Amino acid sequence: MMWLSGGFVFRKGNSVYHRLDPRVKLLISALLFTTTLLVRSIFQLGLVIAFAIAISAVARVLKRVGRTMMLTATFSAFIFAVNIFFTRNLETSAIYAIRFIAIVVSTSLFFITASPDELEQVMKTFRLPRDVVFAFVTAVRFIPVMMLDTLQIMDAQKSRGLELEKGNLFQRVRNMIPVLIPLVVNSVIRSGELAEAMESRAYGAVAKPTSLVQYKARFADRVTALAAVLLFAAGVYSFYFVLPTYLP
Amino acid sequence: MNLKVEQGETVAIVGENGAGKTTLVKHVTGLLKPTSGVVRVKGVETTKASTAQLSRSVGVAFQNPDHQLFSESVYEEIAFALRNFGFSPQLVEKRVTWGLELFGLEEYRESSPLVLSGGEKKRLTLACILAWDPDVVILDEPTVGQDAIQKERLAGTIKLLGAAGKTVVVVSHDIEFLWPIQPRVVVMKSGRIVADGPASTLMLQKDVLEGARVSQPELVTFYQELSRRPEAPFVDPSEAERWLK
Repeated sequence: MMWLSGGFVFRKGNSVYHRLDPRVKLLISALLFTTTLLVRSIFQLGLVIAFAIAISAVARVLKRVGRTMMLTATFSAFIFAVNIFFTRNLETSAIYAIRFIAIVVSTSLFFITASPDELEQVMKTFRLPRDVVFAFVTAVRFIPVMMLDTLQIMDAQKSRGLELEKGNLFQRVRNMIPVLIPLVVNSVIRSGELAEAMESRAYGAVAKPTSLVQYKARFADRVTALAAVLLFAAGVYSFYFVLPTYLP
Repeated sequence: MNLKVEQGETVAIVGENGAGKTTLVKHVTGLLKPTSGVVRVKGVETTKASTAQLSRSVGVAFQNPDHQLFSESVYEEIAFALRNFGFSPQLVEKRVTWGLELFGLEEYRESSPLVLSGGEKKRLTLACILAWDPDVVILDEPTVGQDAIQKERLAGTIKLLGAAGKTVVVVSHDIEFLWPIQPRVVVMKSGRIVADGPASTLMLQKDVLEGARVSQPELVTFYQELSRRPEAPFVDPSEAERWLK
């Protein structure tokens, strides 16, 4: 599980992509995300995923994006099953299932290449409320901690005879209760302790704090952003007027 | 590493953070399976049994009690494992009551385990383990968050378990806590065993302990300091302890 979760957690890298302005990385992920919603066939979706994989190769995070795709595939299979049950249409169901993978890959590409600090700065540039930014960034920072907590709780309950993989789907969900309750309780306790620790270190004492880091787009960042927008426009145009489509 | 623990032995595993103590414990419970070598618990290879099967004879109290408490009441918390193991309702009632009495938790029988203090939660996790009467009891950092009185009681319980023929494995940094128990001490460093022997002799080897970033019990240091003086020729630390008392 830790291995799979690594596909969503930031790790320091030194690729060209990592060095980009975080706002440009967000723009690329946002454009990829939007493109996945606009595509109209499996072939077009394949192109978008291939492009995301190419970016992952440039960012040297191919293995980790692969993990993201593996984890997403489980949910994707569920989406496919539900759609095929209701629509009885193989291609539509496949499009929805693959689209889900593409959406997750495009967003995770941002989260695994942008540090929580960069994420915080990006959110601040959008003039979001400070508390909202802090809460969101802290949540992202605590993902690895939560994963570790989950593993430790699972170990503790398994050593008390709990068999998580036992029984049918309903029983397996019930088996997760002894894991989920301590996880939620620990999270609530930790958030309370964190709030107290922050307040005791004068969080909120300055009404409008300034930032130590101020991002300035370099020439390479501007060129990359422009190329991304042009590629997006060309992609959308070709999806609607050049390449074969399926969905109306 | 090569480690054999006999039935009824009390063993303390000590070593610096990251030495591999918890990893070793997880191998005994089957939570981790060896990629090479063999781990046997009561003759059964851990790779050939599930954690649930192994846990019937190996009970582990993990470091953080908040990682396992989830039930609506203290009673239900202790009963959880017993029901997992298929104990009859009468036996569940009997064992839970015994566990509550042993650790002084009767007054919290119907309380939520989440409202207990840190020390009480720790005692509850021990009650949860001992309730199903496992042959091997593993305590991972049992003294964390415990006051001096609770530590003394815990040491007493460990001695009691040893006297009852249970195999007790204590993973701890708290060398002062371990000294009165006088267990067999296994010193670990970087995933290897660097020393193994009775506390009475191993605790005297300051260099070995310091090599694994483990401090010597204060009483032993005191004894060694006094031994340098010809007018205080104690034979061993216990004699110094008796003299002090």
